[in-house]
Amino acid sequence: MSTATPTPTRSSADLDEFQAFIDGGGMVEAGDEMPEAYRTEVFRFIEFHANSELMGGLTERDWIPKAPGLRLKQIFLAKTQDEIGHAHLLYMVAADMGMKSRREMIEDLFAGKSRFHNVFHYQAVTWADQIAVAFLVDAAAFASQRAVFAECTYGPYKRVLKRIVAEEGFHMRHGEEMLLRLAKGTPIQHAMFQEALERWWWPAVQLFGPDSDPNDPLLAWKIKSKPNEELRHAYVQKYVPLLHSYGFEIPDRELRYDDDAQAWLTSEIDWEPLKATMRNGGPDSRRRIENAAANWADTAWVREAMDASAMNSAS
Amino acid sequence: MISPAARNHLLALADDEHIIGARHARWIGLGPFLEEDLAFCSIAQDELGHALSLYEVLLDTTDDRLIDHFALLRSPEDYRSCWLVEAPCSTWSDALVRHWLYDEAEVLRWQALSESSIDAIARRVDQALREEVFHRSHADLLLSKVLTTTTEAKAAIEDSLGRLLPIAAGMWDPLVDEAQTLDEGVMNATAAELGQRWWTRVADQLTSWGVTASLGTNGALGTAIDTAIDSAIATSSAQQRNRMARSPEFDELLASIQEVITIDPSARW
Repeated sequence: MSTATPTPTRSSADLDEFQAFIDGGGMVEAGDEMPEAYRTEVFRFIEFHANSELMGGLTERDWIPKAPGLRLKQIFLAKTQDEIGHAHLLYMVAADMGMKSRREMIEDLFAGKSRFHNVFHYQAVTWADQIAVAFLVDAAAFASQRAVFAECTYGPYKRVLKRIVAEEGFHMRHGEEMLLRLAKGTPIQHAMFQEALERWWWPAVQLFGPDSDPNDPLLAWKIKSKPNEELRHAYVQKYVPLLHSYGFEIPDRELRYDDDAQAWLTSEIDWEPLKATMRNGGPDSRRRIENAAANWADTAWVREAMDASAMNSAS
Repeated sequence: MISPAARNHLLALADDEHIIGARHARWIGLGPFLEEDLAFCSIAQDELGHALSLYEVLLDTTDDRLIDHFALLRSPEDYRSCWLVEAPCSTWSDALVRHWLYDEAEVLRWQALSESSIDAIARRVDQALREEVFHRSHADLLLSKVLTTTTEAKAAIEDSLGRLLPIAAGMWDPLVDEAQTLDEGVMNATAAELGQRWWTRVADQLTSWGVTASLGTNGALGTAIDTAIDSAIATSSAQQRNRMARSPEFDELLASIQEVITIDPSARW
């Protein structure tokens, strides 16, 4: 006779029963009954993630034509292709929740009606910024996504995250390799990355967000497995010594190692830049969104033709 | 040992693959829908891969740094790319039409190398042709759909055809030492022969999609497709068909390609 505890298989529209279901290890599938609050919050979270993957691809695409080598160009294309591919998968998962179609989500994004990660509201102004995105931002995104994958109670999202996290792991290692080239390269390369670090350190740290509300429903529903501050702290502990070991200076004059806490402590984080990006008011938000929207409008005829072709095939 | 004549011929293909890959790369994130972003990105990577494999043979090295210096740091007059690949194609219809015209030609160009006397080249043909099956399938599928649905889409594609067919003729510009390349067995067909096969395929395909009358502003309204194509060739200038001459947009493209590597050419990027 088996003594294993059976995994709950049904969810409930009642919030207390639903919480018990989640706490008991339950997984929610797209067609399951679920509280509207859960549907809404999880949908928003996945839409945000999808938007961020897409806008991340747009951040990196600017420098692909200037990649200083053919194989590098292939690699950055493949990486950007992964990011767009993640957006593609995530939009499908979100669309299956029945709140917006994929096209509606993309059009909301390009109309400035929805949000995406703070880091993609900044412009990569040199090739070293491209490497900073690959090294700092991808690592922060990887840590954040891995923490979601760890428990994630929404089945379709968890299954897609398995692939995304695996690919982001490659991206992170690629970022490390690219950083090493600049760190161990010529003085010009080293100086370029130091300048990029000054632009990208704080946005990368801010990516994790302010300290989590203890009542954050996404924590309670095990979409997030760890509070923001814990992930941010772990990131700082890993990347400060790593960057120091490569001879780079973190742009934080109050950064110090606390012997009692046995941890690197940053200065107090200014959250205003993050809040500005959430209003689409970051340094490059307007250009990024307007360019994407203009291009979307310019290619409307292709979508209309493909829609017409699909209708012809169906009739 | 590769003769100067063979080098000249292979360099034209390598530079075309390089530049079209660079131009296609521009579309990542800007396609009309996400699947198109992904497809165009894959095609760009493949074309860059073809360029790399040809440069490896030409330089007899697999050292990326040597290849990159050669691929990225030549003077404009030392490139042998045709005007079709150099064109910015900044609208989606131009990019799609260029992709179709180029890949229809690329297949023929690689096939002509399948029994090349240069073993390293012959060995590379199968992989390139396997990839081109998907490229052509992609272009054919999209064009067949957009050309047979809305009038706006058909007009956009026909306009692009009218713009690009004249400069596409430059793919078949024979290099001065072509006869020697044939004598050496590097390839088994002249540019003129390949070009004739290409024009026939292009005309047949356009006819099957119902493009029978107009090829946009440069075309000949009210004529059959083969006459319209003849008209398109006639409108191209000798300069547009000359691989030794760079197009007006090339300098800007090269400046972009060289922007990072020239910051410190001694560096390993």
